Amino acid sequence: MIRMTVTAFALLSLAAAPGLAQEHGDHGAHADDHAHAGETAETTRPEAITEALAAGGSLVTAEVNGMVCDFCATAMTRTFGRRDEVSAVHVDLDTKQLQLVIGAGQALDDATITDLVRRSGYELVSIRRGEEA
Amino acid sequence: MNFKTLAAAAGLFACAVSAAQARPVSYEGGWTVIAERDRASSYGLVHYTPHYEWSVGLRTEWMRDEDLLFTGLQATHLVHRWFAPDSQANLYAYAGAGEAHGIDANPRGSEAAGFAGVMADWETRRWFVSYEARISDFGAGADAMQAARIGVAPYVGDFGDLHTWVMVEIDQRPERDEPVTATPLLRFFKGPALFEIGYTPAEDEAFASFIYRF
Repeated sequence: MIRMTVTAFALLSLAAAPGLAQEHGDHGAHADDHAHAGETAETTRPEAITEALAAGGSLVTAEVNGMVCDFCATAMTRTFGRRDEVSAVHVDLDTKQLQLVIGAGQALDDATITDLVRRSGYELVSIRRGEEA
Repeated sequence: MNFKTLAAAAGLFACAVSAAQARPVSYEGGWTVIAERDRASSYGLVHYTPHYEWSVGLRTEWMRDEDLLFTGLQATHLVHRWFAPDSQANLYAYAGAGEAHGIDANPRGSEAAGFAGVMADWETRRWFVSYEARISDFGAGADAMQAARIGVAPYVGDFGDLHTWVMVEIDQRPERDEPVTATPLLRFFKGPALFEIGYTPAEDEAFASFIYRF
């Protein structure tokens, strides 16, 4: 019985695996939709980031070391998502990038971002703003 | 083993090194719920992370063979985290203290109990390796265990996808009839939730664990 249960879970898991599932790539309104490395940011930015930028926000891109799983990404989105200055957060595990949109009229300096990444449990490598982000 | 011996051993472990729980310390302000059943015991742990290097929580553990139930507090310290662009490694030390009493067929009353251990892990998005060692005294004599785990992800998903890992855990529990066993298991991981299911053939026991972060 236990063996059958484990086998069933394995089969279900493979059926749901990205690349095997037909619907992969259709993340719809998922707030953390993916902008893969090498793709044009303008055309692949997550909807939440695009909307926050359209509302007058400014983009900050941070390179972060150590982000290897969903717990890492969850830590980052929750830590930054609860800040009033941040109107959108996106984590891309492929590029190891954290993207933030700072709301119109708001500010979040580099020292604070560095500290928040550390409090999430990770290590900040670099921060880019404006056109460079 | 008395508490002085236990504390000394815990200190020794902490000074040396510190793996089965996935990330026993969360982000600052984060709560985590963990439930696990292995071949020897079942436990639940709810912990809070006030600082990115510490978590504190309430733990309850049922030693099924002895019919002993432990309830107490657990503190976990992230001794060090090594960062690289594509990997991270962690060293943790933990200890807990509370009381344990007999349940069901065990008439034993409440006694002081405690445990201490170390965990270490290294992971990329494809590979996972971990080690854990624990000593405990739940009032029925000192106990010790160690476990090592290796895992591979057949595919690499993005944040929010369903991640699947194929893993094997080898554990050693000297006091048991089967001191060393292997447990093949599957890990499913999506967003803040992680679920594992496995089987230990040598003892015909199921393995299951669940972790949720909020």
